[in-house]
Amino acid sequence: MHQQLAWYVGGPVVGLCVVALRWLLNERLGATSAWSNAVERVSSPGVRFDTRGWLLIGLVLGGIVFGIFGAGLDGYGWLTETFTGDARWLIVPVLLAAGALIGFGAKTAGGCTSGNGLSGNAILSPASLVATATFFGTAIVVSFVIEALT
Amino acid sequence: MKRFAALVVGFVFGLTLSWSGMTDPDVLRDGLLFRDSYLFLFFISALLTAFVGLRVLKVLQARALLTGEPVSWTGVAPERRHVVGSLLFGAGWAIADACPGPIAAQLGQGVFWSLATAAGLVFGVWLFLRRGVTAEDRVRTFGQRVERAPVPSEG
Repeated sequence: MHQQLAWYVGGPVVGLCVVALRWLLNERLGATSAWSNAVERVSSPGVRFDTRGWLLIGLVLGGIVFGIFGAGLDGYGWLTETFTGDARWLIVPVLLAAGALIGFGAKTAGGCTSGNGLSGNAILSPASLVATATFFGTAIVVSFVIEALT
Repeated sequence: MKRFAALVVGFVFGLTLSWSGMTDPDVLRDGLLFRDSYLFLFFISALLTAFVGLRVLKVLQARALLTGEPVSWTGVAPERRHVVGSLLFGAGWAIADACPGPIAAQLGQGVFWSLATAAGLVFGVWLFLRRGVTAEDRVRTFGQRVERAPVPSEG
């Protein structure tokens, strides 16, 4: 697992995950709803882990296996390159804010890269097409802005 | 059994995302800055596979293997929230170079910084859910109609 999987293997396998969840359970695969189930479980009494929550546990387990057999990260992208030495702790508030934007934004938009980007677009849902164009466009622009500033 | 099925799909999803470098911020960044085509080729091939696979299920009029219900779905009409939410989401995605699936996988991998991203993500989701509850409470207390579009199953 030390070599990155070829895109023409990794992409189709992820696509098949969308198909598998639909075929097995008639459910839409989405990582945001998986997180949401976990948050509901903790914040509201009476809510239990359903298939969404178990999907999240599976995601973490997949990460654990890759953590054991795969290649580890060297630093964390532009953040560890930009915030060095005494300024390194600044990465924490930046990632907290980015995470909050991701969580609140994806819930508002009804999905993230998996829920809208894959599952929603695969059924040609108009809202998902609009959402995907918007978040890809925004992410590209913001990446170029970060690149210009750092 | 249903939960176990979801667990297995999640496992394959998380492992493949990790192995494909979706949990590596440099891979994301190189994609979004058009330095490397991997991210887009990966995404488009995943999307095409899902599209064809779901089409096949539809044509075969398949029933869900574990629930027996007919496989079906409905599209959603675009609203303002899809644009506004995706603007916020896209910005956060580009800053953290990770989205919700890979963030969960990063936690599993033991990527230290993902603790901060995940904490922020949980806070963002909690804030959204809390806002919904507050709106419902307001209706209950004051009998006001609060205009709020129903949120369908999201991902």
